[in-house]
This record gives sequence, structure tokens and C-alpha cells, in this order.
Amino acid sequence: MRAFEHISTASAEEAIERLTENESGEARLIAGGTDLLTLMKADLAAPARLIDLKPASHLRGVKGHPGGSLQLGALTTLAEIERDATLASMYPILIQAIRDAATPQLRAMATMGGNLLQQYRCWYYRDGLRCWLAGGDECFARTGQNQYHAIFQQGPCVAAHPSDLAPALIALDATTTIQGQTGERETLVEDLLAAPAESRRVPHILGQHEVITRINIPASSATARGIYLKAMDRQAWSFALASVAARLTLEGNVVRAARLVLGGVANTPWRAHEAEAALMGQAITSELATQAATLAMQGAASLAFNGYKVRLARELTRRAILLTAGVEP
Amino acid sequence: MPVRIATTHLEFEGQVYEQRVVLEGDEPPVWGPDAELSVVGTAAPRVDGRERVSGAAVYSHDVRLPGQLFAVGLRSPHAHARVVSVDVSRAETMPGIRLILTRFSDPNLIDPARKRAILGEELLFHGMEAAVVVAGTREQAHDALSAIDVTYEPLPFVVDPAVALRPDATHVETARTSNIASEDYPRTYERGDVEAGLRDAGAMVEVRFETPAALHNSMETHGAVASWDGRTMTVYSSTQDIYGARGQIASALGLQQNQVRVIKQYVGGGFGSKFGAHHAGLIAAYASKQLGRPVHYLLSREEENLAAGHRPASIQTYRLGATSDGALTALDLRAISNTGALGSWMSAVSLAAKELYLCPNVRTIDLPVRTNLGTQSAFRAPGVVEATAALEVAVDELAQALGMDPLEFRVKNHAPNNQLMDGRPYSTKTLLQAYATGAERIGWATRDDEARRFPRGRDGYLRRGVGMASQIWGGDGGPPAQAIAKLLPDGTAVILTGTQDIGTGTRTVLAQIAAEELHIPLAHVRVELGDTEYGVFSPASGGSMTLASVGPAVRMAAVRLRGELLEIVSHFTEAPVDALEVREGRVYARETGRDFGAIGEFLGQLDGHEISAKGMRGPNAEDVTNRTFGAQFAEVEVDIGTGQVRARKIVAVHDCGRVVNPLTLSSQMEGGIIQGLGFALMERRIVDERLGRVMNANLEGYKIPTIRDIPEIDVVMIGEANTRANTLGSLGAGEPPIIPTAGAIANAVAHALGKPVRRLPMTPDYILDLLGEP
Repeated sequence: MRAFEHISTASAEEAIERLTENESGEARLIAGGTDLLTLMKADLAAPARLIDLKPASHLRGVKGHPGGSLQLGALTTLAEIERDATLASMYPILIQAIRDAATPQLRAMATMGGNLLQQYRCWYYRDGLRCWLAGGDECFARTGQNQYHAIFQQGPCVAAHPSDLAPALIALDATTTIQGQTGERETLVEDLLAAPAESRRVPHILGQHEVITRINIPASSATARGIYLKAMDRQAWSFALASVAARLTLEGNVVRAARLVLGGVANTPWRAHEAEAALMGQAITSELATQAATLAMQGAASLAFNGYKVRLARELTRRAILLTAGVEP
Repeated sequence: MPVRIATTHLEFEGQVYEQRVVLEGDEPPVWGPDAELSVVGTAAPRVDGRERVSGAAVYSHDVRLPGQLFAVGLRSPHAHARVVSVDVSRAETMPGIRLILTRFSDPNLIDPARKRAILGEELLFHGMEAAVVVAGTREQAHDALSAIDVTYEPLPFVVDPAVALRPDATHVETARTSNIASEDYPRTYERGDVEAGLRDAGAMVEVRFETPAALHNSMETHGAVASWDGRTMTVYSSTQDIYGARGQIASALGLQQNQVRVIKQYVGGGFGSKFGAHHAGLIAAYASKQLGRPVHYLLSREEENLAAGHRPASIQTYRLGATSDGALTALDLRAISNTGALGSWMSAVSLAAKELYLCPNVRTIDLPVRTNLGTQSAFRAPGVVEATAALEVAVDELAQALGMDPLEFRVKNHAPNNQLMDGRPYSTKTLLQAYATGAERIGWATRDDEARRFPRGRDGYLRRGVGMASQIWGGDGGPPAQAIAKLLPDGTAVILTGTQDIGTGTRTVLAQIAAEELHIPLAHVRVELGDTEYGVFSPASGGSMTLASVGPAVRMAAVRLRGELLEIVSHFTEAPVDALEVREGRVYARETGRDFGAIGEFLGQLDGHEISAKGMRGPNAEDVTNRTFGAQFAEVEVDIGTGQVRARKIVAVHDCGRVVNPLTLSSQMEGGIIQGLGFALMERRIVDERLGRVMNANLEGYKIPTIRDIPEIDVVMIGEANTRANTLGSLGAGEPPIIPTAGAIANAVAHALGKPVRRLPMTPDYILDLLGEP
């Protein structure tokens, strides 16, 4: 880790001011630091200044509104959400996703906003190789050890999005409120996370001088049923081999709205639109769940060592649909 | 007292060594099965538990001496390369930099175990040391690494052992014309006629089984803090062998052994990887001698997992034959072991094949192969863990081919005596009892019941299976091992030994033995260990030999010291020695029960003079083989939709002779089983063969079990005192519990799926591939 200057800030506005100051060297925002510090220790990030958001206490905490919509401050830790009994009953997907994420120690530090902005875990990138993501030309994982990598290909990099929270938030139609130099904007979590591109080699579209201030969950999401299923190669403290967040609005047994969002399979959380469409207006049966799960894998292009993920993600999707509808898979 | 020299045989990690030892006096008679003991055999909590959990225990990492500097290594980014030049001119002017070691400036920095320069011209694996920086802080040293300009000439490399064996294979090291580990290999063992045995067989199986390279991941990494004061080199080495470390450091620096003092009070794990000083310890000592200041060099987790050793990956091909009624006729093994860049020996991968089952015709071929990867080291029952997994899978398949119950097959092929030593008897062998006890406790008889195998019905996605595997291992230790027992003026005792407590509870069990024989409370005994300055030799803490080697020495010292105490008490009380006895630290008249007072009251009259006595472990019996035996049974649940395997229960039935402390013993058993479970289900070093790089030299990508992965563990010890082993009647328990776990789990998975398992670890990707498309 390189030496850096640590600057405390009390608000998003102040943070943006500090970010835009014309000082030499890179400035980075830090909140929980659970991802940024690992990057700095590996010399993958060497900011000259760390703008610390943690003192901005108004960005922390949960606000519920009548009707069920919800605002989560970006600095709220995963552990704080996990402990909230009301959220557990209203948004089971969210709580299940958080409980399967990382470890209790990490969840005590990691923030909701930071979780959405985390960098990939690809071991070629994290090992310090100059791969495409690190600014080079070649993706070593594409032809190398790629058992943990993407099965849906979105660009030059084959890293899989590591967040458990993100698929859950997308399934809940969540948005982020983003503070910029000229004001606020609201963006779907689904749109915030994007496959890295030639000129933007990070897994999101947040601008350099922008700060996520909150995450908003609409009231309509609270009434639906949902589940988050995650497969790991041990029972805790692992990124997903594959995961799925499912949310269904049911009238009786008939699906009126569906969200199926997969984790660990693409550069971004992967929304299975065809599978969702196949469920609409239908009564959930075992056959329908299998059919939708098969559709969810349409377009999968697995690599040398991750073919198993297709079968795994399909099975998780099938089970998630059935479990959400109250059917034993 | 006159001394004598005896010759004895010591078995260590599957190899037999002849030892000459100096002995003095006689050992006390063995504690038989009926010995009445009051401290030994009780579940005493660890005497150093408070220090360990409160953070007061000082590990090598924690040592901070005045003026201490920190070293950090620059390691090869290449699997194979020549160091053409090293330019340190930018780095050496950076803040705090005190010394930079390179192959050009430091050709005499030698690894005495391998007799080669540590910083050599040719780098043989990703992670091998290319240079070392010593600076005022670790951060300063780290910052300087990227300012050292090394010109590498990349060379062709090979990381796959099967490829490395080909006649036209790339040479792992340019100067070596063969990639076979040494000229002692391939090594063949043969008894009877294997081909005839296979011809005569009514059933035969052939099994090719692969096991991964497994990393120790000791909590404390390798290395040392070394401090040279102009006369003595004091080294706080992270080692499980302080005398081995002392010898290596003395040899590397051209010092006498007695000029080197090695200290290791607490060890954060070793598991076989810490016999000696290791490169980091040698480098710290070398740098300290140059600078005249203490130097701290303890490896980062990444350095540790690239360069500090591992259990070598194996490819084992078995052919087994049996008569149609289930008697083994032939056992043929070809075992390849990937020993890494400098691995010159092969661990005991063939031991189980040679000795576990009764078989007249056996052939084993050991083929250790070097590759451009970090060098292997011993790892808790080296060779035998991977061997048992593969052999026991093959045995289950042979039983299945015969239509026999796998347990019944093992009972039928039980070996009553040691086939490796012309039928020499085992001092005890309770393996059949272990089979029966384990079968009862896991519910072997109902393992094929429909409701048990299909908990969600035949169409459901869960399958359960039950499997088992056997365990054979040494653990009888031997001489030389010494102890000194002292009684202090206040009536408390100190035991001095040169052993190490590598986390197993050595301090606690040695204190129990001393308290038992001195007849004083356990709390009145302090055990000092881990310091060569005491001058009380003990062997390495490995090979399951610590208790069985050092324990009898402590017992003998305590018995002799009690005799001296009674002489002194007799002098003051004028009562004859045989009329006195000591109970709970007080002296009584044997007949009348008269209380003469606490022993401190007598010792306190000696004007500060302390009494002491020496004890030493006697030779091993030459007419029997001492072995630990056991069996483990596993019940697993496999999710055939996701490929995830969960162990539900492990029953572990073992015989390690007398149990000195049931609490430290169960910790050993549970630890071994958990490590075995990791080996079975998730642990695997992953290598990119195109780049020759290890991809998961960390705790994120290299998975070890978490608390949620650990099943119910049911430990049953069925042994009683082994009166032929040593005066305690105890054998070691460090290695036995890890040996059968992976085999039992593999057989349980095969039972659950009805498909043969061919590799470890059984990760979801492997299980899904094994199942194929539904």
C-alpha cells in the first residue's frame, strides 16, 4: 500500500468538492473500505487522497414511507440492514442476499453504496497482471482458469459480477440517487451496473465526480414474494458460483409480474427477460419453472472450465421460481 | 551416573531411521492399563489457554526488538527464468532502505538443506526469491520492491507432472537432464507376483485417481526474527523443530551450533511444513549478521502459499484383484507425485498399499516428478492422506465388483501382522473393533435404506450416502528426547524440555505427566519448552511423535526427582524414605497419615538451592511394530442439481493407546478431520498452465472449511495403554485423524451417487460433470 492523504468529509457535496479539487494524483472515495483497501494493498489502486465519506452520518440509515417504499442511505452497512426485523419480513430477498454475503466482520464494515461499486474478483486482475481490465489488451481468464467466470459474454472481460446485493436490488426494481456537481439524478441499479467498456474499465457507470447517496426501493416491491438462492463451493465466505434473485407478483397462482436476476454469471447481474416473459399470466407449475429456467440460460456461452455454471444457474432459477410460488422444488 | 549408547530404530513420516542415543539411568515401569492415575487421563484445560486467547502469547510475528528492521522478498513473476541483471540503484536510495540482497551481492547466502544459493541465477517457479529488501519499516521495504529493476530471461517451463515425465519434456532446471526427483527413483517395491495375482483374480478393478496440491495455511506463516549481538545469533523462528532450525542457521552462517539460540514459545501451526529455519529464517539471520541489527522476516500469506510448501498433487493408478470370495490376490500401484521445483523425495504414497490389507502380491512404483512450481513439504501424514483416499476408493469398487459389502471385504482382508517386516507382530491392533464400533454408530446396516438414501424421494434432488475408510500410521516416536524436572523453593515444579507446542497441547500433557509423578497439583507445574538455550534436546514436533518421545522423558525425570525429594524430606523428618508419601504437594507418613507439611516447607530450608533430575526416552522395542489404527465413517448429502456436497456426520474411531488428556485429544481429532474434509471437498491449489502461475495463493481463492461446513463429529477412542510402546502406553494422535477422512467422504459420495469418484476435491463443478446431463 502506498502512502496517501486521508480527508474526512461531512456530506456528499463536500466530498464532490474535494474530488474535483485540482490536486495532483488520483482521489478516491472511501466508505467501508472493504474493497478499496484490498485493491490498495495489492497496488491495484494507489490514490493520493482518500475522501472519507463515513462522517456523513445523514447518508446512513433506513427510512420507510407509508405504503412501503424505502430509502436506504448509501453508508448504511450491510449488517445494519441485516438486523432490521421489519425489512426482513417485507424484503426477504434483500435480507437473504445480505446474509449469504461475505462474513459478519465484512458486513459490519461494508456499505450498501460501496457494495454496488465493488471491483471484480477475477484472480488474474487481482494478481496484478496487466489484463484488459487493468488497462492491457488481453483477458487471461478467457483462455485460462475461468471456473469462476462469466457464462454470458458482454465484452472483452469475462469477470463475473461479485455482488449478492445487486441482483436482489435489481429484482426489487431499486434505484440509486446519485449526487453530482450539478445536482441529483436517479438511476435504476440495473442501469448503474454495466459491463466495462474500452474507455471505462469498471463495472459501473458512476462518474468520477459523483456519489451514490441512497438506494430507493419502490412500494410496489414490498408486496411481492421473493427469494435469493446462492451456490458456493463452501457454506460461507465465498462469492457466488451462481445465484438468483426471484420476485413474483401473484394473483392466486397466476403470475402478474416477475423478476429473475442472476448473479455470478456475467459482467453485470443478469436479468433473464425471456424467462420473466414466459412466466407472465401463467400459473406456476413444475413444467413452467423448468421451461423458464431453460429460457434463462439462452445465449449462455460458457468457457473451458465453467460449463457447470449453466446447469447450476438453471437449477437455481427453477428452484427459485417454485419456492417463490410456494411450491416445493 | 554411568551413560551408555544404544542403537534404536525410529520411524518418521513413513521412513525408518537408525539412531544412536546416549542413555542414562533406567526408565520407570510402564503405566499398564490398570495403572491408577489421577491427573493423566483427565480433561485438563490447556495450561496456556489464557495466553493464547487473550493475545498475551508472543508468536514470531509479534516479536519487536530495539532497532528491529523488516525484510520483504521480491519474488519471481515467472515460472522459470534466468536473472540476467539486478539494478538496485533506484531502490537503495529510497527512505529507510538498509540492505538489498541479490544473487550478485549475496552468492553465499546458502540453503544448507539443499546446498544451494537461496538467491540463485535460475528462478524455478512463480514465487521463488529473486531479491530481498531490508528497511526500517515493512512499508518502506515493500515500496522499494517495485524500484528494483530485474532483467529476467524467461525460460520454457512445465507445471503438469504428466507432461514433465515425457522424454522430450522441458527441463525444470537447466542443469538437470531429468525431471524425476532424484536418481533414487523410480523406486519399486515388490512382494510375490502381482501379474500372477491379477491373472488368478476372480474380479479386478483399475482406478486412476487424482489428488490436488493442498496448502497448509498455518495461521502463522514461515519466517523469523533474528538478532546478532556479535557472539550469539538469537532467532525467534516459526518452526516445529528448534534444533533443526539451529543446525541449519549455524551451517548457513558458518557458526557453531552453540552460537545459535532458537526460541519458539508459541507456534501458530506447522502441520509438517516447518521442520527447520526455512528460507525466510535463514535470510533474517544472514541480514542480521550483516547489519548487526534485529531483522524481522515473516512471509505474507501470498509468499507463504507460493513458496512455503504444500502436500504434493498425486496421480495414483491402482490395479486390484481378488478371488471371487473376496480375498485380495494382487495390489498394483503406480504413483506419481508432483514434488515441485526442488522436491527430491517422495512421501509415503505407497505405504497404505503395502501394509493396510493382507495381500501376497504387491507392487508399488514411486515416481516423484519435479515441475516449475513451489517445492513440496511434509504435510500431516505426508503421502498417506492422498494414498488412503485413492486406495480406499479402489477397495470399495473392488468390493462392489464382487457384490460384497465394502466393510465385510475389509474385515476379510484384515492384515494380522506387519507384512513389510516379515510378519512381525503389531503390539496391538484394534482395527476390527474400530470397524464394528464405527459401523454401529453411523448406522452402516441401514445405509442402503430407500428413505435414508433419498430424503426427498427418488425424484428429489438430494442423495445421501455412507462410506468409510481405514487408517494406518506410526506414532510411536523414540529417543533421543530429554527432560529436566526441577523443584523450586516454594514447592512448585518446572519441567524443561527442548520440544515445541505446535498448538497440540504439549505444554498441558507434559505438565499432567509431571504432576502425576511428583504428586503435586497440576497448577504447581510449569513447562518450559521451545528454547535451545535450556540444553535439553527434544526431537521435531512432527510425525505424531512428541508425546510418545518427550512424555516418557518427563515421566522419568519426575520419578527421579520425587525420589530426591523424599530423601530430603527423610533427612529433615528422620522418617525412612519408604515410610513417606507425597499427595497433592504435601508429605504424609504412609502408615499413620501424619501430615509433615507442604513440600515447599522442606525445599525452602535449602537456602534457595533447587533440586533437579534428568529423564530420557529409552529405546523402542525391536520385536514388535507399534502402529496407530482407526477407521472413519462419513454420511454425506449431495445436491444433484447444484453439485454441492455436505458432510452430515463423521464417526472417527481410533486407537492411539493411553489418552493423556481427552480434551486436547478431541481437539486433535476434530482438527484432523476438518483438514481432511477440506481436502475432500474444497481445497485445491489452482495453476494456470499457460502462464505457470498459481492463481489462488490466498485465502479467498484457496478454500478451507468454515464453521458452517463442519458436520457433527463423533470421536471414539478404543485403545488402552500400549505396554510395548513406551512407559506412558501412549502413541501419537497428531496425524491419524486426517488420514481416512477424505477416503470415507469420497466413498460416501460414490455411494450417494452410484458413480465412481476419480478425483479430489469433490467441488460442485466436478460433481456436476460427473453426473452429466440429466
